[in-house]
Amino acid sequence: MMSKQKPVPHPAPESMPYWQAAKQHRMELPRCNACGQFWFPPSQSCPHCLAADFAFTPVSGRGKVFSFVTFHRVYHPAFAGEVPYVVALVELAEGPRLLTNIVGVPVDKVACEMPVQVVFDDVADGVSVPKFTPA
Amino acid sequence: MTVMIEPSRELRDVCAIVGAGHSRLGRVPGVSSLDLLVEAMRNAVADAGLKVSDVDGIVCRGPDESYCHHQRVGERLGINARFSTTLDNGGASQIMAVALATMAIKAGLATTVICGYGRDAWSRTHASEEARVRNETRPESLRAQEFGPEYGYFGAVAAHAFGATRHMHLYGTTREHFGQVAVAFREHALRNPDAQMKKPLSIAQYHEAQPIVAPFGLFDCSLRSDAAGAVIVTSRERARDLRQPPVSIKGFGSFNNLTGWFSGDNMVTTAAKESGEAAYRMAGIGPAEVSCAQLYDCFTYMVVAQLEDYGFCKKGEGGPFAASGALRIDGRLPTNTSGGQLSEAHAEGMLQVVEGVRQMRHTYPAERQVKDAEIALISGHGGNQVCHSTLILERA
Repeated sequence: MMSKQKPVPHPAPESMPYWQAAKQHRMELPRCNACGQFWFPPSQSCPHCLAADFAFTPVSGRGKVFSFVTFHRVYHPAFAGEVPYVVALVELAEGPRLLTNIVGVPVDKVACEMPVQVVFDDVADGVSVPKFTPA
Repeated sequence: MTVMIEPSRELRDVCAIVGAGHSRLGRVPGVSSLDLLVEAMRNAVADAGLKVSDVDGIVCRGPDESYCHHQRVGERLGINARFSTTLDNGGASQIMAVALATMAIKAGLATTVICGYGRDAWSRTHASEEARVRNETRPESLRAQEFGPEYGYFGAVAAHAFGATRHMHLYGTTREHFGQVAVAFREHALRNPDAQMKKPLSIAQYHEAQPIVAPFGLFDCSLRSDAAGAVIVTSRERARDLRQPPVSIKGFGSFNNLTGWFSGDNMVTTAAKESGEAAYRMAGIGPAEVSCAQLYDCFTYMVVAQLEDYGFCKKGEGGPFAASGALRIDGRLPTNTSGGQLSEAHAEGMLQVVEGVRQMRHTYPAERQVKDAEIALISGHGGNQVCHSTLILERA
């Protein structure tokens, strides 16, 4: 049976530092020590220059909504009480884009290019998920 | 950095599609996707007037959890093959199969190659209440474990809806535009006795339907179908002696935006652009020569984007182009003339290939036949939204 609990992230080994930082309400992304660029999702070499020398580095947590969708249909019973909810692709000021929820604003007020700021949602014991709210 | 390539003109018009078939479409409970595929293949062999022992090549695709699916197909057809393999480009695979068959025949590795794909998506998503809620055709092991499910992000509807939102933001595309795509294809399906959808669809019904993942409502989404299609490729020379009017494979192309749907502007200018350019160059034609299109319509928005990417109109004008009536069977660019995946049945692009072949034969009754159709452009799209393939057929 499908769980009534919301899914929690099951991190790949390369994502562990990202989720460990999130647990402490910090957003850190891999940044290349060769070309200086950030990337997401985490991996063991820079997709811009293929260098393997990188460090998880704090980002501003600021960005803008690149695009978004509003879920009305329930695909998982744990979200039955949440619909309608917004899933957005946020482009961080540092460049990478990540999937997230937009919270703290009515769903019909979310728009492309809307400036947003990260907030952390403590979804389970020891698990915090970055979400975004209007900046 | 980008090196210009020139697709080989030596592949233009060297092969033909000489057989086409489909399985029962829609709700076909109790039949596996493999048996649906074999059913479509049997129909394609009979359509060509061949014996299955004439087939010496198989290029196909299996369900996502399968391994070496062509072996199982060959076993059920009772044949060995000079050339056989299974492809893995999602909904772009089906045209890739025809392209690879053409290359194998030109290379002298096979003479007569059967290509096809079948799926049991209706049965799979209606096997239980849980399956119905999930509406997922892939096995558990292939689902995302992070960066999605924790946000309630599930499924292909949402993935494509991101592109729709962005397109609406950039170009002022509207749900009315998307609705005109759905309505046009439904009208085509009503002319097709095998189509899954049997009732008319008005633009008012489109707007009143339940939202699924906005901006998409129910009728923006393609069908869950049990369905299969198959075609047979051979040399133009051999095609002359066969039963059906041969349909020439004039060109094909592919492109894969492997950096991802969410990268760059891939969700708005899709891989159809480069795939189409390659196919046009191989075929030696441009969009103005295309007399009908069979586009991969997993969602209404993907039709709008591809109309632009294939050069039928400018980027950003796909919505008004669709709403002009251009896609109707008597329109400027009759598109998805069997009803497409939105209203005929969804076999991940394989039925688009079958319909393109049939339009080129001119054997349909008048109400289904695109008048004076000489060239069909067919598209395939899939693999997490970024793999694309294009096939151009000509009435020989």
